[in-house]
Amino acid sequence: MKKVINLLCASSILILVACNKDDAPAPAAAAPNYSDNISNITNNVIIATYADLDAKVSTLVNQLSTLEATPSIANLEASRQAWRDARKPWEQSEGFLFGPVDQQGYDPNMDSWPVNVVDLDAVLNNGNVLTKAYIDALDGTLKGFHTIEYLLWGTDGNKQFNSFTTREFEYLKACAQSLKGVTADLYNAWIPSGGNFSNNLLTAGNGSTLYPSQKSALQEFVNGVITIADEVANGKINDPLSTGDVTLEESRFSANSKADFADNMRSIRNVYIGSLSSLGGKSISSIVSETNASLDAQVKQAIEQSITSIEAIPGTFTTAITANPQAIQAAQTKVRDLQNILQNDLLNFINGL
Amino acid sequence: MASNYCRFFIAIFIITISVGCNKDEVTNASQDSSLSAAYFSGGNTTIFNNGSTAYEQPSANLNPQEFLLHTEGDAAFEATFVTAPATNNSGLGPLFNQNACVSCHPRNGRSAAPSNSDLKGFLLRLSNGAVAAHGAPAPVAGFGGQLQTKAIFGLQPEGQVSIQYTYQVNNFLDGTNYELQIPSYQITQTYTQLPPGTHISPRVGPAIFGLGLLEAVSESEILAAADPNDANGDGISGKPNYVWNYIAQQMQIGRFGWKATEPTLYQQTAEAYLGDMGITSPNFTTENSTGQPQIDSLQDDPEITDDIVKAATFYAQSLGVPARRNMNDPLVKQGALLFNAAKCATCHRSQMNTAQLAGVPSVSNQIIYPYTDLLLHDMGPDLADGFAAFSANGSEWRTPPLWGIGLVPVVNGHSYFLHDGRARNLSEAILWHGGEAAASKQFFVNLSATERLAIIRFLESL
Repeated sequence: MKKVINLLCASSILILVACNKDDAPAPAAAAPNYSDNISNITNNVIIATYADLDAKVSTLVNQLSTLEATPSIANLEASRQAWRDARKPWEQSEGFLFGPVDQQGYDPNMDSWPVNVVDLDAVLNNGNVLTKAYIDALDGTLKGFHTIEYLLWGTDGNKQFNSFTTREFEYLKACAQSLKGVTADLYNAWIPSGGNFSNNLLTAGNGSTLYPSQKSALQEFVNGVITIADEVANGKINDPLSTGDVTLEESRFSANSKADFADNMRSIRNVYIGSLSSLGGKSISSIVSETNASLDAQVKQAIEQSITSIEAIPGTFTTAITANPQAIQAAQTKVRDLQNILQNDLLNFINGL
Repeated sequence: MASNYCRFFIAIFIITISVGCNKDEVTNASQDSSLSAAYFSGGNTTIFNNGSTAYEQPSANLNPQEFLLHTEGDAAFEATFVTAPATNNSGLGPLFNQNACVSCHPRNGRSAAPSNSDLKGFLLRLSNGAVAAHGAPAPVAGFGGQLQTKAIFGLQPEGQVSIQYTYQVNNFLDGTNYELQIPSYQITQTYTQLPPGTHISPRVGPAIFGLGLLEAVSESEILAAADPNDANGDGISGKPNYVWNYIAQQMQIGRFGWKATEPTLYQQTAEAYLGDMGITSPNFTTENSTGQPQIDSLQDDPEITDDIVKAATFYAQSLGVPARRNMNDPLVKQGALLFNAAKCATCHRSQMNTAQLAGVPSVSNQIIYPYTDLLLHDMGPDLADGFAAFSANGSEWRTPPLWGIGLVPVVNGHSYFLHDGRARNLSEAILWHGGEAAASKQFFVNLSATERLAIIRFLESL
């Protein structure tokens, strides 16, 4: 979902402003070079996030292997925590859903929703040996984060340890192994020793066939964060909120939706400030702050307010849909505010570079 | 915000672009006023985005009501279906090709070419070679009109597709070699014996932006360029396909699909739900596996509401078309001249005007630059699938639009073109042209390397 409130008017006016700038006689100056900004975001945000995802999914594989070998309440809880820990870098990667994650079809194998419960039950009730290769061959709606989540927590999020079957433990382990294969492929698709997709960005304006200018690479980053702000405001939050239908909530089984959404906002922050920590680096922010400190401050504040307001929703997202819809609405407003600033102000700023 | 207010700024914006913003365009405009207008490939729907989200932008001129429906359609287009009964998105299959619209139209763009391990957005249309009611290709007993290569768990897909390529090397006039890969398709692992003599037609999912504009082109505008009997003797026919509109219950000009077999986007959408995903809707309530042993016995049809079909239809109708890029690159300019000199533009018609499309004011009354005539042309034996459909014979294909084609690599991560993705780049796509386009292809073959590059750069600027 990628739409813009006020798309029409705002973008027209803003592009108009940007265009007019070009009309002024330009002082002779060397074209700005954003190589460091692009490489920092590419290497230290995007690739670093995918590396973290792969590492956390590796831990999930280990935990689910332990759970299968030694079923216990403690090992179940450790597995659930490992799922939450792995979910975090995935959600923090959704601010850059371009490149291999989409083009190589990895996304549906990691994050398909909803789970195909009828087919999953059929697999659980058949006698096939559950290996990684077996799961690899199944459709995305029978594997990935949400299938693992569904099996770990159950439809209502209150699945008890004693209701697990041996077959479910086997499925969980193989499913995590399959997911690990995908996260490794995704990471490898970006790094120089693998598919080297990152080179398309690093050579932007200097030989890249995908990104003919450095500006076009920066636009790709900004459009990536706009896409997830839009998705969270107008899809992930709006679908259950506008209908009151809790089954439309993304990570309902694990009650992890608030964390998911906040991590989506952190994904925006990471790309914007060029860092997975709060330290920042050569980034979009550092470009903006040079000539427009107030816009930089505005973007950062909007990101922080969106995170704060999502985390301020009382209880779980599921309970808040009926008990505290106004708190969800407030969070949705903050995310929409952020989306508007990114779409109308930040993108225009980048377009005008 | 008042729409008049918006229109005012859009108007200002357009004026600014043409007189102030792109100074280079102004230079062109003074030489050729059509060139600066051509910057706006989709008229007022045109959007400005050269990245991976270029095909996902709502038209720039949607009114608030259109915008809301577009948002609903976006969700419908992304929805993944699962086996019935399910709480959400129920009714997949039981036989299907993919489980979401975006699976065949990734990022609203072109599917990558198929491989034997993953067909992606590729499918085979089937026919027994006979003609059914209204001229439609007659289905194959036990398989229907399309090979469903997936099934819900426990059932067997109708079959799989094995693709083999052979390679043929030819020369440009300057002596440089080029190679084409020639696909052959075999249906394997069928759930029951495939009747001998089954005709197949391979298809790859095309991009879906700008389709509302093409739907809004009047029949008279299309027919004005038609020359089915080549009365003007230029070797190029241009023939409308007349197809069956299931809703209106009448024959009508076909516009959509590789052989222009769909008259409306609504019908295209509803039939894709049914044929590709096994999702029934109120006007198409009969499962694609009806009459086959693997039909489900569920009483859950229709599986989606008509509102969902309409929203998904509207989504395709209301996506913006990316603006041209690099129009003032000297090579692009040279390529534009060569494109015309090669008579490519005879079929890949640069300009069309839209009329009114009911319910979609954003696409109505626009000047557009789609590079298609929406007509069928004989493309010669090398591209022929021998698969007749309504007025289209086995050698005829509808001219596909070329707008936005240069962004396929950044959006979809590949550069595979033509109806089955056999061309690995734009140059190969040109070199596959035969039949009515044989002279245009020969023109390209005879060019120098720089001139050939100019044509490619021109295509990439669309």
